[in-house]
Amino acid sequence: MLDFCSSTRRSEAGLVRLLRRKGETRRFAGPSSASTITPPTDALLPPASEPQTVAGEAAYWKTPEPSLLREYSEVLGVIACVTVVGWFLPLSYHAIGQIYLLAVIALSLRVSRWPVLVAAVASAVTWNYVFMPPRLSFAVLDFDDSLILGTYFVVALIGGQLTTRVRAQARLERRREQLATALLRLTRALAAARTLDEAARAALRQAEEVFEARTALLLLDEKDALVPHEASSFRLSDLENAAAKVARTKGEQTGRFTSVHSTAQAVCVPMLRAGGVLGVLALRLPVETLQLTSAGQDLINGFAAQIALLIEREKLRAASEREKLLAESDRLHRTLLDSVSHELKTPLSVLRSATEKLDTDDFRLRRNLTVEIRTATERLNHLVANLLSQSRLESGGLSAQLDWCDVRDVISSARRAVGDALAGHVVKVQIPAELPLFMADAPLMEQVLGNLLLNAAVHTPRGTSICVRAGLEDAHDRVFIAVEDTGPGIASELRASLFQKFRRGNAARAGGLGLGLSIVRGFMLAQGGDVVAGTSPDGGACFTLYLPHVVHDLIPSDER
Amino acid sequence: MSADFAKPDVLVIDDEPQIRRLLRLILEETGYAVREAESGQSGLDEALRQNPDVVILDLGLPDRPGLEVLKHLREWNAVPILILSVFGQEGSKIAALDAGADDYLTKPFAGGELLARLRALLRRIKPATAASTFRFGTIEVDLGRRQVTKDGHPVKLTSMEYAMLILFIAHRGKVLTHRQLLRELWGPKAEKQTHYLRNYMLRLRRKLEDDLDSPRYFQTDSGIGYRFVSDVSENS
Repeated sequence: MLDFCSSTRRSEAGLVRLLRRKGETRRFAGPSSASTITPPTDALLPPASEPQTVAGEAAYWKTPEPSLLREYSEVLGVIACVTVVGWFLPLSYHAIGQIYLLAVIALSLRVSRWPVLVAAVASAVTWNYVFMPPRLSFAVLDFDDSLILGTYFVVALIGGQLTTRVRAQARLERRREQLATALLRLTRALAAARTLDEAARAALRQAEEVFEARTALLLLDEKDALVPHEASSFRLSDLENAAAKVARTKGEQTGRFTSVHSTAQAVCVPMLRAGGVLGVLALRLPVETLQLTSAGQDLINGFAAQIALLIEREKLRAASEREKLLAESDRLHRTLLDSVSHELKTPLSVLRSATEKLDTDDFRLRRNLTVEIRTATERLNHLVANLLSQSRLESGGLSAQLDWCDVRDVISSARRAVGDALAGHVVKVQIPAELPLFMADAPLMEQVLGNLLLNAAVHTPRGTSICVRAGLEDAHDRVFIAVEDTGPGIASELRASLFQKFRRGNAARAGGLGLGLSIVRGFMLAQGGDVVAGTSPDGGACFTLYLPHVVHDLIPSDER
Repeated sequence: MSADFAKPDVLVIDDEPQIRRLLRLILEETGYAVREAESGQSGLDEALRQNPDVVILDLGLPDRPGLEVLKHLREWNAVPILILSVFGQEGSKIAALDAGADDYLTKPFAGGELLARLRALLRRIKPATAASTFRFGTIEVDLGRRQVTKDGHPVKLTSMEYAMLILFIAHRGKVLTHRQLLRELWGPKAEKQTHYLRNYMLRLRRKLEDDLDSPRYFQTDSGIGYRFVSDVSENS
């Protein structure tokens, strides 16, 4: 048997270049390809017990060697044929010697070095023994005959050398092509994957098919420890784990076929990128694999490099995502700070200057200042309440205490809470007499309705009417409370972001943080309800609150 | 209230000096005598030293929970207690009312509202009049004959509705929590049956209120309970 490792060592360097990035060659080539792969012996992969030809493309890397046994038998068969034919032909032994020469030349084009030499020796011996007079006995060679025999050997050597070289070249080409195909397939599979997990799974399954091996992928977690990926098809033994750790710290291949933890079942390949080791790929090759060929090594390195690339890409993507989020929350914070400071400072400056002027004897001025102070404190109070509600919503500290509520109760207490802000508007309430109780958190509902009423009052001209309607939906599964105004309605471009915090209508008057509707939505969702914005019959804005309709058990009656 | 001995004595227990100063300003101007305590313990000592006519108690005290101070006070004293609390403390308000507080105000509160609540609390502790009728608005309740009239026309109440009305009259100006009302009217087992209460309150309002959409006498305190306001001019 022949190994191609030594004969192709020069070209291997080319392959390695193909697969590896500059500067990583040394580490990738590692101890295994440099020292463990030994000069030609017959005990190389694939072992003699294995089928000599490769059944499918999957195992091509196991060096599909032409059978030497077949070549030897072909050589001996041809020599035997020539001998038999020559025996019956009425030709001089010199002419038969030329036929033998032709046969050796022809064989040298088909078989490799050693079989050709065997052909040369066999032809020389049979020619001398069978054809050279005296026939069927060895004759002493004269100068002419020695020359012919010498020619056999020279031809055999030259031909054999040429054939071997051409073959090696062809094999190399085929290997290159197959390697490229395998990696192309891998890249395609990886490109189709949307997440790192999907990609890792695809890469491992490909590796399993190509190497007929079981695979495991170890990635670094936040604490920089190696953690097996869930797509791995085996759990690493303690020895394999130790090998993987060495591979991670040293950046060198360890485990089977190497000098480090060589008794481990798996070979551990570090996945290297410029930033360092990103993880370890572990392969449990079939037990009967006795040696890792350079082709196999290259392919393993190729897989490791591809997965490393993928992990790096994923890391970069996550980092840029984080950056975007940070920028967004930074923007929100700035908005919050800007508007909060504006909203707080306006009433505060009113309070400050108004109280300074209070020291007057002018009764009318004092009364007007008092009204201003009251308005400013109301505004501050509302602002603080909304900020507190919003932070309650965001801290997750809000748990709705659902209890039976009467819609009239909720509406009237909301109106009382909003107070003077509604004084300029006509509030109409339409509630069917037999509207059932519903489950809600009354203080939350009071604030929700209060915010909606205040919103309506702020966005519509004085003197217009605000209508609050409540009822049971036709399907009897939801109770609704709608707040309708006769104002300009909601601009269509605002609809999508209406319930987001810090969104304010462009036409909105000064005042307000844009928290009101965000709180309305948050509170409704916390109570298992919902809120929908729409248009009222008069073309104004309409906000409808929905709550699930639940039937309560019987109330003891004392009707006489 | 001209003479000092006739001035109602208010004990303010609050750790915020500015709140204490403001309360002193408002209350003294209105004719109350004010004593201050900046912690729960000193408040209890002060109450023990001389019994106040009414206590204004902040729930967020530095040394011990306001609720604890309230329970201590209630162990030996029936003085009316008005609770001051901040936004978002519904739970602690209910606990305080159930533990015997008479009313509460949420900071920031308005001075006028504070005075109205104090007046209502002080009126209740005055010796009950022997009068057998109680009037609010155009409604007259004949306690002896158990008859109710509105605008001179008789109003027919069921026994439970009448019991509820009497309970409110007895605790006029004070917040009654859902639990207190349910326990009193339907027994301890019905403490969680708030739908009974909602239902009867709606019935009572239908029969007695002028405008069902903005009730004047039976006011709702969201999530806490109901308050019966008989003297509308003072509280609205």
